Amino acid sequence: MAVGLGVLGVIFIVLAVLYALGVLQLFTSGPGNHYKHAILLVVLAVASFVAASFARPKTA
Amino acid sequence: MRSLRCSAAPSIWAAWSPNLSPRLTALSLAQALFMGLLQGASELFPVSSLGHAVLVPSLLRWSFKQTDPSFVPFLVLLHLGTATALLVIYRHEWVAIIRGFFTAAVRGEMRTDSERLAMLLLVGTIPAATLGVFLENRIKSLFTSPYEAAAFLVVNGVLMLGFEQLRRRTERRAAVASESRDEQESHFAQAERISFRAAALVGACQALAFFPGISRSGITIGGGLIAGLRHQEAARFSFLLATPVILGAGIVEVPQLFANGVPVGEYLAAAVLSGVAAYASARFLLRYFRSGRLDPYGWYCIAAGLASLALLRFSL
Repeated sequence: MAVGLGVLGVIFIVLAVLYALGVLQLFTSGPGNHYKHAILLVVLAVASFVAASFARPKTA
Repeated sequence: MRSLRCSAAPSIWAAWSPNLSPRLTALSLAQALFMGLLQGASELFPVSSLGHAVLVPSLLRWSFKQTDPSFVPFLVLLHLGTATALLVIYRHEWVAIIRGFFTAAVRGEMRTDSERLAMLLLVGTIPAATLGVFLENRIKSLFTSPYEAAAFLVVNGVLMLGFEQLRRRTERRAAVASESRDEQESHFAQAERISFRAAALVGACQALAFFPGISRSGITIGGGLIAGLRHQEAARFSFLLATPVILGAGIVEVPQLFANGVPVGEYLAAAVLSGVAAYASARFLLRYFRSGRLDPYGWYCIAAGLASLALLRFSL
């Protein structure tokens, strides 16, 4: 579970970079750099990493 | 009287005005300050500031309308004023929330109320932010006219009354109806105690506020009531939830706004006025919701929406 959430976080980071560079244009208003989408994906990545931290096995 | 003029600026609300006229129309300084006051005062009340911002220029027959290119960047700064007011009010809480977020994230465990609240706010922010960024163009291009804003204002009023009916039913089930309002309120939870599913639902409700006329604070306060929060806590959670979204949108947009050569001084004056009005209204509402309900705002929205529809329809 923790590993899966970590991988999800990495995927969000990659997508954020692609939106910021203007490579990805899905759900956008037009061509160009989409920093708003990138920032959102960074937030989603942070949320995924936090969830991964919560899901990781704890040492006593 | 000085006038505000600006060119079209790309914005979070850009898709709101899909058929922008290329002409530039003016917003006088007095009108700008009035709009700042209106936006700041109505943003935190459950009456839809966006609905009022769409309706008022049309009802007052200003040459400046909501489809004007300069309207969009102007609203961005007004919202930043509101977010600043909320940051000032909750400055100590935000320090604890940010500290709690990092502590809990690194530790992988929530031990304090601040840590839990930080995670609830993160969960509550994600749905609206995601829907807002990926679907805003589609949503807002459908709703641009004051008629729709007036109609949604009526819907907002019905929703407020509906939320209160659901709360009263919960109160009856809890057999607290015979108690005073203060005592009834004590049976309901603090913001830190709601479930993460409830926080996500309240957050998702925020996305409905993209429709001019639907109040962001109203819909999230209502969602908080259904989640089992007392009124004052629902308002507090709503205000805390609003801050990152409003601030984030503003921070992303403002550099583009100033890059388009808008009259900074006039815009800032209106934004400051908006912030002052938002500060006063937040203080009032937090006090009001100690024992007050959403009903008066619901009835106001229904009356204002119907009156606006009549005024627009018959060009009174």
